[in-house]
Amino acid sequence: MSWHRVFAITVRIIRQVRRDRRTLALIFLAPVVILSLLGYVYRGSARSLTLAVSGPENEFTQAVVAALTSRSVRVERLPTEQAIALVRSGTLAGALVIEPGDPSLSVRLLVDGSQPGRAQQVTASVEHALTRVALERVPLSAPLPQVQVVYLTGSPAFDELDTFAPVFIGFFAFFFVFLLTSVSFLRERLQGSIERLIVSPLDRTEIVMGYMLGFAFYALLQSIAMVLFTIYVLRVKSVGALWLVILLTVILTLGAVNLGIFLSTFARTELQVVQFIPLVISLQGLLSGIIWPVDTLPRPLQWVAQVLPLTWANDALRAVMLRGHGPADLLPHLLVLGAFAVLMLVLAMSTLRREVA
Amino acid sequence: MPESERTSAESYEAAVIADGVSRMFGPLRAIDRLSLVIPRGVIYGLLGPSGSGKTTFLRMVVGALKPSEGHLYVFGTAMPNRRVASRIGYMPQAPALYPDLSLRENLRFFGAIYAVPRRRLDERIEELAADLDLLAWLDHPLYRFSVGMVQRASLAVALLHEPDLLVLDEPTVGLDPLLRRTLWERFRSLAARGTTLLISTHSLDEADRCDLLGFLRGGRLLASDTPAALRALTGQDTLEHAFLALAGQPPLTVEWPR
Repeated sequence: MSWHRVFAITVRIIRQVRRDRRTLALIFLAPVVILSLLGYVYRGSARSLTLAVSGPENEFTQAVVAALTSRSVRVERLPTEQAIALVRSGTLAGALVIEPGDPSLSVRLLVDGSQPGRAQQVTASVEHALTRVALERVPLSAPLPQVQVVYLTGSPAFDELDTFAPVFIGFFAFFFVFLLTSVSFLRERLQGSIERLIVSPLDRTEIVMGYMLGFAFYALLQSIAMVLFTIYVLRVKSVGALWLVILLTVILTLGAVNLGIFLSTFARTELQVVQFIPLVISLQGLLSGIIWPVDTLPRPLQWVAQVLPLTWANDALRAVMLRGHGPADLLPHLLVLGAFAVLMLVLAMSTLRREVA
Repeated sequence: MPESERTSAESYEAAVIADGVSRMFGPLRAIDRLSLVIPRGVIYGLLGPSGSGKTTFLRMVVGALKPSEGHLYVFGTAMPNRRVASRIGYMPQAPALYPDLSLRENLRFFGAIYAVPRRRLDERIEELAADLDLLAWLDHPLYRFSVGMVQRASLAVALLHEPDLLVLDEPTVGLDPLLRRTLWERFRSLAARGTTLLISTHSLDEADRCDLLGFLRGGRLLASDTPAALRALTGQDTLEHAFLALAGQPPLTVEWPR
């Protein structure tokens, strides 16, 4: 195999995609738009929320209410019992309970954790307000009031976007790269240039490798862009190593490139490539743990899920971003994803061999 | 063709030898027991109506299709074989280039595939672009090109690595007569320098410019000889009439003139 020739294909692919503005937009803008939309839906930062404050009518309480009230937060004074009932029913985002006595040291915030986004927002607002109140009061040396957050429902772990973002990174990377490769390989076949390559000194391995590297280049840029956007713009929490997130995404997309080449053999038009989407994309979208956790699926579907590359990718991406797992913990995942890429590579090369019929 | 004859044929410096080559597509016999010899340095024209099997035969010669029966040798090597690939230049009927890349980028890509050294490649690109009247268009994407320009670009790709055998599938279809003449002058000068050209055509006036001519009909080679010999053989004064006369007859044995 000559790397010189492999890279000739790689560079050509990179050039072609760079020329095609719409495709570039598909690679970079589409995931960003969709992720933003998700962020908006899940976090709903534009919504104002209502918070109950119950406690003695004193200077501290008034100061807290004043500090809390803002464009995005509405405050209602309610007795504790009533406030708790309304938080449980989800009507109120939370209730701040200030006990009579020594108010400056401890307050309790009761939140509705079934809507993690809202719960986080409430917690943040309260902490912010208390800090302001404390700073306005002299002396500064006085201890800051501690907020004790109590989840009346749900759990404080992560919000929805935090848990969904990792799997969306994997899903979009797979989806776009698959679509791109299968269509552009099909085009190569339709315009007849594949025949020129086949009668050239190139061997099949070089053709597929060249393609794989060319699209891997864009897959790498896309994963970097998506990861950075998710973490720095959408402020999704990730406790793990970013390079590992990117590595996982890239290995996953190498499989997608080869799958695209393989499946494009079975399509004669671009529409037929689109027809593979339900098979390749929707199946994985439904079963790989994006919507329902894999272990809650009916048993036969769990078996199906186990052979889908996206299931492994999702599990690994969540493990890294949510639980901070390192490469050693993810060895099985990396192996499975690598094996998928190699298997698809072999299949892609075997269909290309059939080209000389 | 028996091994001994093949070797003797090689002493002619044959570029292409087909020995009872057939190609099936399902039940269809697209090429039917075709035998011919193309010596080096000649222009061999394959004349036939569309559907006669011209493209199928050319694709076997360049190694894009395997013969279903028989043997096909290019420079003494059984095809398909990737080792002789670099000695063959192929211009398919469809342009088969990358429309979103510029002509220079297309040429550079194929140059790298055929391992043309970088400096030589840059020279070749300028040379071919000048010859084919595309110099001003080197850095424009091919989707801006007219049909004739794409056709010439495709020819440039086939010529790029200075192949010993040039296989051109209807290279002048849709070109204006002036350009057609320029191209034929170019083919002639390539042959004079020792390049073998295998050109398919369905145009009779082009067929007359070839050194050797094969009449192909329904996948069978009706005759293979010089245009003059074919006319003499059939007692007809035009190639068209010669073709018609031969079409009514069983295929003739291929005789190779010195």
